[in-house]
Amino acid sequence: MTKPPYRAIVFGATSAIASAILREITRSHSAEFLLVGRNATKLGNLADDLRAYGANCSIHTIDFLDPTTDWSAIIEKQTGHWDLFLIAHGSLCEQEQALTRSIDVAHEIAVNFTSHATIAATCSAALRRQGRGTLAAIGSVAGDRGRQSNFLYGSAKAGLATFMDGLRHRHAREKDIHIVLLKPGMTNSPMTADIPKSPLFSSTAKVGALGWEAIRRATPVAYLPGWWRWIMFAIRATPAALFHRTKL
Amino acid sequence: MKPSAFHSWGRLRPAIAQRETPAWRHEAQANPGPRLAIGLGRSYGDSGLLDGGTMVDTRFLDRLISFAPESGILRAEAGISLDAVLRFAVPRGWFLPTTPGTRQVSLGGAIANDIHGKNHQLVGCFGNHVPRLALLRSDAPQQECRAGDPLHAATIGGLGLTGIITWAELQLRPIRSAWLDVEWIRFHGLSEFLALSQESTTWEHSVAWIDCLSTGKQGTRGIFIRGRWSDHAELDLHRDAKLRIPFDLPGFTLNPLSIRAFNALYYRRFRGPTKHLRQHYAPFFHPLDSVHDWNRIYGKKGFYQYQCVTPTTAGTSPMEEILRLIRNANQGSFLAVLKTFGSLPSPGMLSFPTPGITLALDFPNRGAATLQLFKQLDTIVRDCGGRLYPAKDSRMSADDFQRGYQRLGEFERHLDPAFSSDFWRRMSRPTPQPRHP
Repeated sequence: MTKPPYRAIVFGATSAIASAILREITRSHSAEFLLVGRNATKLGNLADDLRAYGANCSIHTIDFLDPTTDWSAIIEKQTGHWDLFLIAHGSLCEQEQALTRSIDVAHEIAVNFTSHATIAATCSAALRRQGRGTLAAIGSVAGDRGRQSNFLYGSAKAGLATFMDGLRHRHAREKDIHIVLLKPGMTNSPMTADIPKSPLFSSTAKVGALGWEAIRRATPVAYLPGWWRWIMFAIRATPAALFHRTKL
Repeated sequence: MKPSAFHSWGRLRPAIAQRETPAWRHEAQANPGPRLAIGLGRSYGDSGLLDGGTMVDTRFLDRLISFAPESGILRAEAGISLDAVLRFAVPRGWFLPTTPGTRQVSLGGAIANDIHGKNHQLVGCFGNHVPRLALLRSDAPQQECRAGDPLHAATIGGLGLTGIITWAELQLRPIRSAWLDVEWIRFHGLSEFLALSQESTTWEHSVAWIDCLSTGKQGTRGIFIRGRWSDHAELDLHRDAKLRIPFDLPGFTLNPLSIRAFNALYYRRFRGPTKHLRQHYAPFFHPLDSVHDWNRIYGKKGFYQYQCVTPTTAGTSPMEEILRLIRNANQGSFLAVLKTFGSLPSPGMLSFPTPGITLALDFPNRGAATLQLFKQLDTIVRDCGGRLYPAKDSRMSADDFQRGYQRLGEFERHLDPAFSSDFWRRMSRPTPQPRHP
């Protein structure tokens, strides 16, 4: 008898890191993906890619900010257990500009925190019904300390980290349910193409492989790559008097 | 947006250009000009650069589109690396139709430079295995070109000047093993090299490493390398390199002494006249990929690569003369490769390979002395009816380019008006009007 396929539902599937994680899954598993995102063309391109790698894919377009969305209906559209719920959508804005317009501030928080929390809460209920499975969300090292250059994005990711912490506590007695927060550091993606590259940058393929590793092993909080844990430890440990003199 | 610096592999001088980074096929743009697509930046000279223009960075267009397991035809976005193609193909029992010395080139770059590999004598160029491609031009909506179409022939080896290749189909070849049975054979002189090439017709892959600084009555010494796919039925994948050159090494790292020492060690890497071994495809085809950023060993000043082909009809004497000049100038480096090209023509109008012997050799940039040597080599190549490889070039003359590539006029009809490159600008400098009799 062949192994049943690995089934994942991915919110924000077209994000570079989520796409890389999905490709990585197809290398070792027969897989079935429900790809949820905003743009049908992009979802289609991604689905073609993953199908060529051998996965079974369907797509679902959605506006993450629509408060009337029935997330549990999407999850239950396909019967059977999900092995993985992955929440990966996000937005990184030009912060200085955004801070001058309340609507932009609200939008950043809505995309990067509110919609994640909404979906995560729904997934948590689904996990409880299933009795097993993994919920993973993509946070960021930016959430570890508020820094002048990106605290709008960072604070939303910090909120997400706390939310995931809480969910982990909530499911602590359910041994087969895992809550994973992935914290990528600087990643070579279209979003960062114009930033001069330092050795701190990792490729999306590498981050994807490490992300899948963390999901597979149910690591509660995974820095991608792992050495970011120590960099962020140093950044958190720096006294404010010193920290505020930097331009980080 | 602030312009970025783009280096080619030789790192002679960067081009300063605007960067566009389409993340999806439909985001790629062919307007406004001047612009040029860039893949992984492995062209050595300036054919992949456009100073002052817009460079369309295709790195993130790396998705597969479809794969037909019955026929082995893979359709993928043009920014995918050959490394990623192999990661997909090898576990499924497929391989590239032909591969250059590195996996770190993009599919689009492989087509635009019509790259060749160790099996050229049997299968031709990369462009012989691209049944279809999609081209985004500034003067037309995206179009599909098939083998046989003039625009397809212009785009194969077309140096990116016919528009942006958005996706392409590649005919993979089936393999039962990721390993090759390999023979290393020592030789002296070009006639021994040619004899070995001729008796290796049953070997799919052949190439020779030569010690360009070796002296002696018997002529240039070298190691002839030939391989064929093994029966050892393991389809294991290559691994990523662990080593990296983190910065430009000081300029004196490579000098005639260190190069001689390296060559002597390399030549003596096995005992006896021949050695049989089984090698994985990665060390066999892609020895350079074992160290990331190896081009930095040449230091801040960068390096040139000189790759020419001398036609079969000219015999071995032009190549003998080229090797003699290089040896006497005491220049050149350890990465010297000799190979015979076969007679299967590529569809590409500007494709480099032509039946004969090709030499590819790195030269640390020693300024005027290096350029002076190249001028002498050019004369020999010109006089025997050979030509130089644009993908490796930063300094050939427009005259030599026009003389070497007879289908240039035909090619120019397919140029995209919005596309250009530093190489192309160099080649298009107005030449003196021919005198009419």
